[in-house]
Amino acid sequence: MDNKFLRNLYMVPYAVWIIVFVIAPILLVLYYSFLDIHGNFSLVNYERFFTSVYLKLTLSSFWYAFLITLISLLVAYPTAYLLTKTKHKHLWLLLIIVPSWINLLLKAYAFIGIFGAYGAANNFLEFIGIGSRQLLFTDFSFVFVAVYIFIPFMILPIFNALNSLNPTLIDAANDLGASRWTTFSKVIFPLTLNGVKTGCQVVFIPALSLFMLTRLIAGNRVITLGTAIEQHFLVTQDWGMGSTIAVFLILIMFLIIRLTGFRKRGA
Amino acid sequence: MENASIIQFVNVTKTFADDTIVLDNVSFEIERGKFYTLLGPSGCGKTTILRLIAGFIEPTSGEVYFDGKKINHLPANKRQVNTVFQDYALFPHLNVFENVAFGLRIKREKKSVIEAKVKEALSFVNLSGYENREISEMSGGQRQRVAIARAIVNEPKVILLDEPLSALDLKLRTQMQYELRELQRRLGITFIFVTHDQEEALAMSDEIFVINKGKIQQSGTPIDIYDEPINRFVADFIGESNIVKGKMIEDYLVEFAGKRFTCVDGGITPNEPVEIVIRPEDLEITKKGAGKLEVTVHSKLFRGVHYEMTCRDVEGNDWLVHTTRKVDVGDMIGLDFEPEAIHVMRFDESEEDFDRRMEQYTEEEANG
Ligand SMILES: Nc1ncnc2c1ncn2[C@@H]1O[C@H](COP(=O)(O)OP(=O)(O)OP(=O)(O)O)[C@@H](O)[C@H]1O
Ligand SMILES: [Mg+2]
Repeated sequence: MDNKFLRNLYMVPYAVWIIVFVIAPILLVLYYSFLDIHGNFSLVNYERFFTSVYLKLTLSSFWYAFLITLISLLVAYPTAYLLTKTKHKHLWLLLIIVPSWINLLLKAYAFIGIFGAYGAANNFLEFIGIGSRQLLFTDFSFVFVAVYIFIPFMILPIFNALNSLNPTLIDAANDLGASRWTTFSKVIFPLTLNGVKTGCQVVFIPALSLFMLTRLIAGNRVITLGTAIEQHFLVTQDWGMGSTIAVFLILIMFLIIRLTGFRKRGA
Repeated sequence: MENASIIQFVNVTKTFADDTIVLDNVSFEIERGKFYTLLGPSGCGKTTILRLIAGFIEPTSGEVYFDGKKINHLPANKRQVNTVFQDYALFPHLNVFENVAFGLRIKREKKSVIEAKVKEALSFVNLSGYENREISEMSGGQRQRVAIARAIVNEPKVILLDEPLSALDLKLRTQMQYELRELQRRLGITFIFVTHDQEEALAMSDEIFVINKGKIQQSGTPIDIYDEPINRFVADFIGESNIVKGKMIEDYLVEFAGKRFTCVDGGITPNEPVEIVIRPEDLEITKKGAGKLEVTVHSKLFRGVHYEMTCRDVEGNDWLVHTTRKVDVGDMIGLDFEPEAIHVMRFDESEEDFDRRMEQYTEEEANG
């Protein structure tokens, strides 16, 4: 009896946290999404979301998030694999993780400097004879910087998965005649799939709602769902529409988590 | 050319990065279709020998031959050898069927062939009907059998088994020892089995390699090794034994415990100091004065089938005796034994010299 009471007592801060910072805001967003620009109750925002403007926006948002996730994965997997083979792997991992502790805006401003007309990147292009060109405010620079920012979050779960892989399983695959590639595709990759899924989740979902980068690096050429929400709240003051997009963003997130859900096997 | 030997190690040395010598100039030969056991204490290099044969590591110096060809640098996936790993190393993301089928799928066998072979392999290890089980749903003993099925299904020329029974309880272990031995006879494949359990080695093998500190101390049939250990390490490691210091007086006459005894060993320089081995079960208890040795019973332990007693002779040597007779601590008794029960070991005798001497003197004995 006492025990149960105590246990419930421990739960209180957690419950308060969840209610105040998770459930209440979601309910609030849901409430606002049913208000039109004049504060009247209506479904107009939802109708608007299904017009071509917003559907295109969603699609392009998905496309960029997909690109960012894919490139991060392609860079992160081999990196994580090499890391597990190095002697001081945890030191190297730390070095890769450290940049993620630096504020996102600071990094964005740094890249403005690097990619600017007279920045280091253009100097380099000049030097190798390609000549300087417009780098900032292109979707290339947007994807590049986003990948740079997200890579540690992709590497970490993959590194953990690879690191906890029993090395005799690789010997066993070799022993049964598997080449390096077959060993990778039939044993190593399937057994680290959970790490890959986690990595994709923690990159894809935030990438859908990136907004500062779209302005600073992509010069508003790329508009993601995140940018749209920001614009509605801060520029057009249409909180209802902003909330509606947020509702869809939340739904999409749940859907993605559902789809990339873990299976128990091989964990 | 189909000669008897399938694997050969010639002066193989293996050192790891920190320069510790794990295998020291090891040479041996493995013949087709036999059951071999590598026996030795933990860390003596057993797994290292298997890994060299399987191709996971390369020797630092020396040569490894397979079927007459040097295979020092042949990668593991090109060798006709399959391994049952110390920790089984079954693929956790595949079910029993797919684990066993792994090697066949890599060889791109036809679907029907794979199905038939996997089925047969599973029935070999008494696991028919378990095809769709997940590995996590199998017991330790069942996993071990899946690991064996996964190896035999590829029909390799040699199967390497690294302490596959060490995780099992005594009963299952004994049962699996029979099953493995039986399986090897049915398949006719060479088995190289690793264990640090001497009883297991004696029960299962055609041939045993006793290894210590990266060196093969002695190789031979279980009976040879048990009856004629080359040195103190082997005598001590294989079974329980009484080892006392003695002196060789002349061929077939040895002195220990203050007396002279006839024995069957010869070829040793007269008056050379030697060590004597007598197995506990070869010592017979007699009435005081009726045996060859006079001893006092020091302690007694009930071991289920027999009593294990330690006795002490007048020179202070301890004698371990197995008996079913009732004797009390403090009793004076006699110990009797046959000349054949005495085994004489020289200090630092090489295996070649030992074998030569054994051959010569057993022949002489048989002839005359
Ligand atoms: N990769 C390695 N690097 C350095 N030393 C190693 C390596 N692998 C094995 N050793 C050393 O080699 C020695 C022999 O190891 P091995 O695994 O062959 O022993 P083993 O006879 O199989 O022992 P066990 O019965 O405990 O399995 C040990 O002292 C071990 O520490
Ligand atoms: Mg071992």
